[in-house]
Amino acid sequence: MNDTFEPLIIALCCNWCSFAGADLAGVSRIQYPPSIRIIRVMCSGMVHPNLVIEAFTQGADGVLMCGCHPGDCHYQEGNLKAEKRAEAIRMMLPDFGLEEERFRLEWVSAAEGARFAQVVREFTEQVQKLGASPYRNS
Amino acid sequence: MGVRVNEEWFSICGGCEVTILDIGEPLLDILAKIDIVHMPVLMDHKLFGQTGEKTEMEVPEADVGLISGGIRNEENRTLAKEMRKKCKFLIALGSCACSGGVPALANLSTTQELLEKVYRGSKTTDANGIPNQQIPALTDRVYALSEVVPVDMKLPGCPTTPEMVVGALTALLEGKPFSPPSKSVCDECPTIREKKATGTLKRRLDAPEFTPGRPLSEMRCLMEQGILCDGPATRSGCGGSAGTPRCIRAYMPCEGCFGPLSDTANPMVDMMGALSSIGLDPKQIPDRSATFNRFAGAGRLRPAPRR
Repeated sequence: MNDTFEPLIIALCCNWCSFAGADLAGVSRIQYPPSIRIIRVMCSGMVHPNLVIEAFTQGADGVLMCGCHPGDCHYQEGNLKAEKRAEAIRMMLPDFGLEEERFRLEWVSAAEGARFAQVVREFTEQVQKLGASPYRNS
Repeated sequence: MGVRVNEEWFSICGGCEVTILDIGEPLLDILAKIDIVHMPVLMDHKLFGQTGEKTEMEVPEADVGLISGGIRNEENRTLAKEMRKKCKFLIALGSCACSGGVPALANLSTTQELLEKVYRGSKTTDANGIPNQQIPALTDRVYALSEVVPVDMKLPGCPTTPEMVVGALTALLEGKPFSPPSKSVCDECPTIREKKATGTLKRRLDAPEFTPGRPLSEMRCLMEQGILCDGPATRSGCGGSAGTPRCIRAYMPCEGCFGPLSDTANPMVDMMGALSSIGLDPKQIPDRSATFNRFAGAGRLRPAPRR
């Protein structure tokens, strides 16, 4: 075992695209860091900023929000709502003493297993550079 | 002998005491059943004994204690503990006692910064020494009452409503349970909501669009008209039995005076979510922490980190 910091990342994936994409990454046996804990939500548009802030204040080092590509939303425009909310979340993170880079919104379709793995790899590296969340042990 | 009542006020304007007076006629029925044994705003009852003979602050034993105002200095803190000791049932009266209220906006600065600003830095006054003799020291921030002592009941509002005070006191006298409303202002608001903003964010005092003389149920939601309204993240109850929230009745947006929906709620996150969900631009909100925590600063607001 090496001593590199293993971040804890909460991933909120929409049922119709991103969760299926994560599933595809799994069945295709694509390797990606074990840092994420996926929570399946019906639509990225249902992710209230409260859920993300709660994850952070409970000690998550990063939060990844994944939805369908714009135009592909199962509920027509849930992901557009998610995009607006993500903007509000990014603005609020400094108010809670956190870096904006700890939060990320990505579009992953059901066919993009490899992309999902890539996103997780990149995001894990990014959070690793930031270090542990100040909320982790409080 | 009636039920003994203690009332004490801390960091507050006194508006909640006026609310007690504002009860009107029902107050006469209540007064017949209670004995007010300590109430600084009403009677000359000294804390260190009537001739100042005691060394510790003391309030009489009572069945019910009412406290308005948050904890701003060490005297408040000591007295809050004394009230808790002497009162069987303690009620936090008003938003200041419940969640810090307007005075808790001071939590955005450190106590030292505040003192510097008020006594030295202000352009309109001569720089002077910071008083430190014969006065109680300020606490490091403004605390809600429940952060210092356990509280049995919270009656929020700035000021709280006479109806709520009557409801709580009558229920207590009759030994019945009483719980203040826990829904949001939006739940009681009659305006039309379509979950989509009609325009961009307006200034707070810009006039909303409505037809004078027509009922409120024909007016579009103020927030959807672009007027910042704290309704989604604010506890209801201000309308009393009439239901319709006080400010909405006057075609004004909710200011958030009944405080957040629960002790753990974060009104800023709720409001930023609500704004962005209906398509308004949250970037346009000036000073969002203070704007959305106007009555709930205790435990929620803190000085901005130095960068």
